[in-house]
Amino acid sequence: MGREVSESCIDSLLTEMVSSYCNHFYANKPELAARRIEAIGYQVGHQLSERYTMERPRFSDHLEAIKFICKDFWSELFKKQIDNLKTNHRGTFVLQDNRFRWLARMSLDPTADDAVPQDPADFAESKAAQAMSMYLYFPCGIIRGALSNLGIPCAVSADISNLPACSFVVRIKA
Amino acid sequence: MIVCVAVVGHQSFTEADDALKLHHIVHCSLDVVDERVNNPKKSGPTLNETFLGLLYPTENYKVYGYLTNTKVKFILVTTDLDVRDVDVRNFFRRFHAAYVDAVSNPFHVPGKKITSRTFAERVSNIVKSFGLSST
Repeated sequence: MGREVSESCIDSLLTEMVSSYCNHFYANKPELAARRIEAIGYQVGHQLSERYTMERPRFSDHLEAIKFICKDFWSELFKKQIDNLKTNHRGTFVLQDNRFRWLARMSLDPTADDAVPQDPADFAESKAAQAMSMYLYFPCGIIRGALSNLGIPCAVSADISNLPACSFVVRIKA
Repeated sequence: MIVCVAVVGHQSFTEADDALKLHHIVHCSLDVVDERVNNPKKSGPTLNETFLGLLYPTENYKVYGYLTNTKVKFILVTTDLDVRDVDVRNFFRRFHAAYVDAVSNPFHVPGKKITSRTFAERVSNIVKSFGLSST
């Protein structure tokens, strides 16, 4: 369906997008850069969900929509499905991808002065994690845009305490 | 002959408003075909179970509705008296494809009127070929 672009183009585009917003447009204002990137993801997710729900019957409830994101939507974007879905049955879902494609080629530089701490608790605070998290605002926005177009307002955040697995936490707004 | 095709966003209308809105929509809708006044609705297929509710009844026209997963409604108004179900479904399928392409335009603002000329041309082609298959 439609024209395709090579994956390396997407990778380069994402890298450049994060780099432009973090170092150029909103240099020294990472929160603003993050919000802008997430907003771009939101629009993309919105439009993609329109396209990928085209031939399907309508979803009966939130769980169906989340399952759609985990299976068909994720397959269209990343050629694989979400590996693990958890919920607390009270509006929070955790979508775990054991090898998130857009982080797969990122290395953590071990020669840097503040070396990457191995302990997960420290890692979350480290600069490496912060740098990496900038790349996750875009996919979080995509998920948020797709769900909101399906009538499910939510907040989406990412959790990388367990690389190369990446978890997306979706909290549905009541 | 199709007199009007319209795309409606995801606000929901009450029964009474529907007729007025439909009038309004008819007048402001896509520059595809000439518009006339309203109609009786002869239920609309949607992608899933339920047909769209009864629109305002009138004499000469048929109105079809289609509801997408993203709560966008397509309204089709036609003066044909014997329209085949499969033709309408086909029409809406092609129309949906054109709509998705128009909405994927990064310069399109969600919620605002679609201003793409390509979209208008595609819809025009779909409309023109609507009658032909039903002979």
